[in-house]
Amino acid sequence: MSYQDLTDPSPKRAFMLCNEAVARAVLECDAKVAAFYPGSPTSEILDTLYLLSADYPDLKMEVSANEKVALETVAGASMAGARSFTSMKSVGLNVASDTFYTLGYTGVNAGCVLLVADDPHAHSSQSEQDGRFFAPTGHVPMLEPSTPQEAYDMTRYAFDLSERYKILTMIRTTTRVNHQYASVEVGEVKRTPFQKRNWKDVKRPYFTLSDTARRLKGEALDKLGKIEEEFAASPFNRVIEGEGRIGVVANGVSYLHAMEAAEALGVKPHILKLGTTHPLPKKLIVDFVSKLDKVLVVEELMPYLEQHIKAIAKDADCGLEVLGKESGHFGYVGEYNVAVVSKALGTVYGVKSPVDYEAVQAKAAELKKVIPNRLPVFCAGCPHRATLWALQQALKGTDFILNNDIGCYSMLQLEPYSLTDMMLCMGAGQGISSGMQHVVNDRVVALIGDSTLFHAGLPALVNAVHNGHNYTLFILDNSVTAMTGQQPNPGSDFGPNKVTEIDIEAVVRGIGVKNVTKINAFDPKPNVETMKKAILGEGVNVVISVGPCALWNDRKRRAAKIPIIPNKVGKETCKTIYACVRDFYCPAIQLDMETRQTIIQPDICNGCMVCAKLCPVSAISSTGGAQK
Amino acid sequence: MTQYNILLAGVGGQGLMLLSQVMGDACTKSGVKVVVGAQHGLAQRSGSISAHVRIGDAYSPLIPYGTADLIIAMEATEALRYIEFLKQGGTVIMNSRIMHPPLETAPIVKNRQELRMYVTLEQVKEQLSKVVGNVISIDAEKVAVEVGNPRTENVVLLGVASALIGFPVKIEPLKESVRRVVPERAVEANLKAFDLGRKAAEG
Repeated sequence: MSYQDLTDPSPKRAFMLCNEAVARAVLECDAKVAAFYPGSPTSEILDTLYLLSADYPDLKMEVSANEKVALETVAGASMAGARSFTSMKSVGLNVASDTFYTLGYTGVNAGCVLLVADDPHAHSSQSEQDGRFFAPTGHVPMLEPSTPQEAYDMTRYAFDLSERYKILTMIRTTTRVNHQYASVEVGEVKRTPFQKRNWKDVKRPYFTLSDTARRLKGEALDKLGKIEEEFAASPFNRVIEGEGRIGVVANGVSYLHAMEAAEALGVKPHILKLGTTHPLPKKLIVDFVSKLDKVLVVEELMPYLEQHIKAIAKDADCGLEVLGKESGHFGYVGEYNVAVVSKALGTVYGVKSPVDYEAVQAKAAELKKVIPNRLPVFCAGCPHRATLWALQQALKGTDFILNNDIGCYSMLQLEPYSLTDMMLCMGAGQGISSGMQHVVNDRVVALIGDSTLFHAGLPALVNAVHNGHNYTLFILDNSVTAMTGQQPNPGSDFGPNKVTEIDIEAVVRGIGVKNVTKINAFDPKPNVETMKKAILGEGVNVVISVGPCALWNDRKRRAAKIPIIPNKVGKETCKTIYACVRDFYCPAIQLDMETRQTIIQPDICNGCMVCAKLCPVSAISSTGGAQK
Repeated sequence: MTQYNILLAGVGGQGLMLLSQVMGDACTKSGVKVVVGAQHGLAQRSGSISAHVRIGDAYSPLIPYGTADLIIAMEATEALRYIEFLKQGGTVIMNSRIMHPPLETAPIVKNRQELRMYVTLEQVKEQLSKVVGNVISIDAEKVAVEVGNPRTENVVLLGVASALIGFPVKIEPLKESVRRVVPERAVEANLKAFDLGRKAAEG
């Protein structure tokens, strides 16, 4: 969707990304406070509202230090009487879950909506976590869209539901929903002026302990009972009438795969599409399954619906056979697609798909043996590539453990580096290092980015200093949260509002780290000695490697009309030593198969000059002219 | 069920997502149903990326294997990487450029005595010819340089596609969407890239 379409307040039909449609709905619902920590596949919600906040200054929009703070910020705004919104990725809710679970007890005031996006297939996450289980255990209602239009409609409804029941409301999506574009019909943006309120006008208690906790839990469950009745009539649950006594129950993107699989197979099951998945509309489900002999439950990740439907059918005593993961029709790992659903549905009906998907895939696998893998790599001009080149040299000859963290630098675990011993979740690198340094003889090294340090790294650093641990922490400071699209973090000098830049070195020294060194990422050779010293030093050693994210910096340069000048390799001077390739692996550098010399692709190179610094015969120099 | 499925493949940074948005926007403005499943992944450049453009009556945001009418590949090896999506006798439009990833260069450098070779365009074409009805290969990088903006390779290929018989989106709505979706400073170069791509195909 063009920015014009998004920001223009009039109703319209436009082609938009699901995440844009959600952002538009947030704006239309007159939400006044929105706070986020970026995380794929939700980051574009943040990005869109960030852009829109320039045109709609009555929206207080901020990028938070982590998801817990973001959820608390929007919950606080709601308690004080303003509608509010946050979104986060699956594992983001783990970070925010302490707040989430207690909010389920206290409830909220003005409409307060939380969107959580799971990532079946772990495209861009460390796990295939199923966030749906948060809703029943947190006593929070949950909606699951299939399409961008539905995500837009559900976001609007969620604000209304949340406000009527004074209950946090959760929208649960998956990657293939968030990253789906389609035509969406949107309404008018009518904003009210931002008004400060007085606490006495909205005041009610939001605390919970013992007696209060038990009373509030009961009240939350009562609200959910009423919401279940409302959900029974919700247009977000739909029955598509079919033929015979076989049915399908599906949610989210699985519903779309199931509709297409049924058409491809030429079968007509009755289909129940569930959009309200906590509390489940039990009566609707009983009515649906009571006319069936078999039902195939189509849902990714865990058998959440399947187990509930089994229980509901057993209570209703309707002799239903429930098929899904537990019957072996589907697996538990990875995401679904039309081929996966066709296979399961075809098995139920005893028919085969007109396209032999397995044969097509097998043939393709054979054909593509000639092409190399193209794994994600550090971008041309990335400061991490330079830092990690130096780190590889500094670690040579030392027994070490390398504990990594979540960020672009996570790619160090991939080929051709294959250099990570441990990587769990945001901020875990240091905590794990604390444990390991008690036990091993090896030097313990932890890596963390600037954004991840602010997000979840600081408590672990405090802990390590306080307890006198021995490890070396490399802080890779590229000024932004790069991996999710270069959003600002507390160390950035920009944001949707006026921001104060937090000085990482001052924070680290303030915590009490004695050995702190700041290095320029793009000066790799001198950095090797500095790093070695830090790695072999006693106590907690911190090296802060500074260099801006290449994508972010290139964008800034383009906006400021500063030319980006690529490098070139001298044909006379290149002696095929390959110092610019080994341990460096820049995607701009290729080989010329005739001369075996290296060549630089000018439209990829951003002129960071690090390869030139690595070349022992000075064969690489700037072209001196702008190429992009 | 009438459908036209296009699988876009390329390397991160080549403007593949923008291309999918131009196509989707053009369909929507022309009243044609469309759903696009984009693989945004992470922000880094230079990885393999794809987008599924499904025009007409489709539910899933992902093209089922063996049902794409067309693959548009912004880099030659990427056409082969997603070949399971193409239907029997489908068409491939691809950039003749090959961007050799560091993972291909690393073992060549490590075992320099063996004089290993990169995969070639001829090898890719040979593999494609075993299953593809029509392979159209064009040096989009060269055309983009001719246009004066090396970042227009994507729209050159869209111009080529627009000349295909049966391509479901008309030229004018496509150009109109280029104007709407592409950043203002690059609109003129992109329209020129579209025309040159189209001309090359009709050539």
